[in-house]
Amino acid sequence: MGKEELFKQAMDAIISSDLKKAEEIAKKAIGEGIDPMELMSRGFRVGITRIGDLFERGEMFLPELIRSAEVMKSVSELIISALPEESREKSGVVLIGTVQGDIHDIGKILVASLLKANGFEVHDVGHDVSVETFIEKAQELNVDIIGSSALLTTTMKYQKDLEGELKRRDLRDRFKTMVGGAPVTQRWADRIGADAYGEDATDAVRRAFELLGKS
Amino acid sequence: MKKYRTRKGDGSFIELNENELKAELEQGTSDAADRGKISPLSKEELQYLFELFTYPSKFISVEMGNEVILSYDAATLKVRRVGVSTHRIQSLQVYEKLLGADMLEFDHVDYSIKPVKPIITFEQPELEQALLVTTLPLYYGAQPNLGLYNQPDGPCPNPGELYAAGKISEAQDSQEKAVEYAVSDMVQVGSEMYESGADGINFDTTGAAGDTDFLATLKAVEILRKKFPDMCIEVGMAGEFILGMHGGLSYDDVRLAGLYPHKQIELAQKAGVSIFGPVCNTKTDRSIPWNSARAVTYIKECVKNSKIPIHANMGMGVGGLPMVDHPPTDVVSRASKAMVEITRLDGL
Repeated sequence: MGKEELFKQAMDAIISSDLKKAEEIAKKAIGEGIDPMELMSRGFRVGITRIGDLFERGEMFLPELIRSAEVMKSVSELIISALPEESREKSGVVLIGTVQGDIHDIGKILVASLLKANGFEVHDVGHDVSVETFIEKAQELNVDIIGSSALLTTTMKYQKDLEGELKRRDLRDRFKTMVGGAPVTQRWADRIGADAYGEDATDAVRRAFELLGKS
Repeated sequence: MKKYRTRKGDGSFIELNENELKAELEQGTSDAADRGKISPLSKEELQYLFELFTYPSKFISVEMGNEVILSYDAATLKVRRVGVSTHRIQSLQVYEKLLGADMLEFDHVDYSIKPVKPIITFEQPELEQALLVTTLPLYYGAQPNLGLYNQPDGPCPNPGELYAAGKISEAQDSQEKAVEYAVSDMVQVGSEMYESGADGINFDTTGAAGDTDFLATLKAVEILRKKFPDMCIEVGMAGEFILGMHGGLSYDDVRLAGLYPHKQIELAQKAGVSIFGPVCNTKTDRSIPWNSARAVTYIKECVKNSKIPIHANMGMGVGGLPMVDHPPTDVVSRASKAMVEITRLDGL
């Protein structure tokens, strides 16, 4: 089997949430000396991106997305273990939560699942999270990105407060910030000084990679 | 080449030349056609949209004779939301006597069925007072809001947390239980407010919690329709397709997840809905011409499939309008005229 065919099978294994097949492909590729990172970026990661796109179009649903994300997580661990110790690097560490006064977390859960599936270490701090908690947890967990979600126009202001509080504590340069949620736009992100805005879960993953210079 | 001023989906101004504007319109309708597996707008319709978006006036309107019903959901909240201190009943009077509304909705600030249930005896006399000082049809409205049946706000284990822990079947079981609770509450609130004199019930933002939310609404409508054959029941949607948060739920043997407006209407009609309010979401990084062409494409197909009145949602972030608190009149009037005169719907 050629390399291209193997990459296609890797992609298909993720789309069909087939853990056994995905592990077989990963082991086979590693055994044949294929670069594990190439297998990841041109095979498995293409599959999970496709899952995100299908979900965003209403052609795939949350249970399938979760199953595929789980397969992706397992196969990522397998591939990382095949890498030399010095090149075992996570995609990044993300703290994610829904802002204070807001209990909506469906979108945030989707973003967290897709980030995990793409190799990020994700710490989901839930909903109705105060600015104080965002900052304390981000420091405690030493994250790269703080992602905040808001579904309501009345709670978006806490995303702005987060930016202000990070500046006030002289921590703004230590973390990258991402915002999302139904009423949130790129315009809002620019206005409050957030580093990135994710239109949907797939876009959020793309932006997270960009923020960390790994796109 | 001459540039035309319009906006992006986030409300900011942009300028497009003739070719760019035409390309945006074509891409917008193609996107809807591709996702919904429906027909794109015709060349004539795209030309019509082009003329709307290049017309120099700030505000435009439908031709005389093409006027449609104008209704406002959550009307009693919106005046107060912008800081104008009025009672709910006065808000309704403002909409009726000053803003040209044809239909209105009385609602509570929580705007969800579950929190209304324990205070329904306080809502009933308020509704009765509102009915005494208004003449237009008055709904009682609230969202099904299935999320409120999940912990920590409700009795069902939180499916979000269960999914995150990989417990898929447990998450689905929990959502099915939430449907049972929601149906019971929707029937109770709907019945009691109707019996208090409401001209109808509006289940608004249906589908916000995905397929469970839509299923609960259809089941509740079916029961209410049997109980009150003459009751007006409006169902307004939350998004352009039904999110598959459960993924396996169906109604009348049709899987709900992934249904677009032209398919949603078929089930709404079967359940006994009187008026249907489809939604098309705005993409904030695309232009309003792109978003408007896309929205009109979806709604046109929905109207074509419908035997009941269609009142499409036009507002913040829906119907081709920008995601801003107060959508500006230049694009509101253009997107509304396009929606009315191309889709031939019945109301906004």
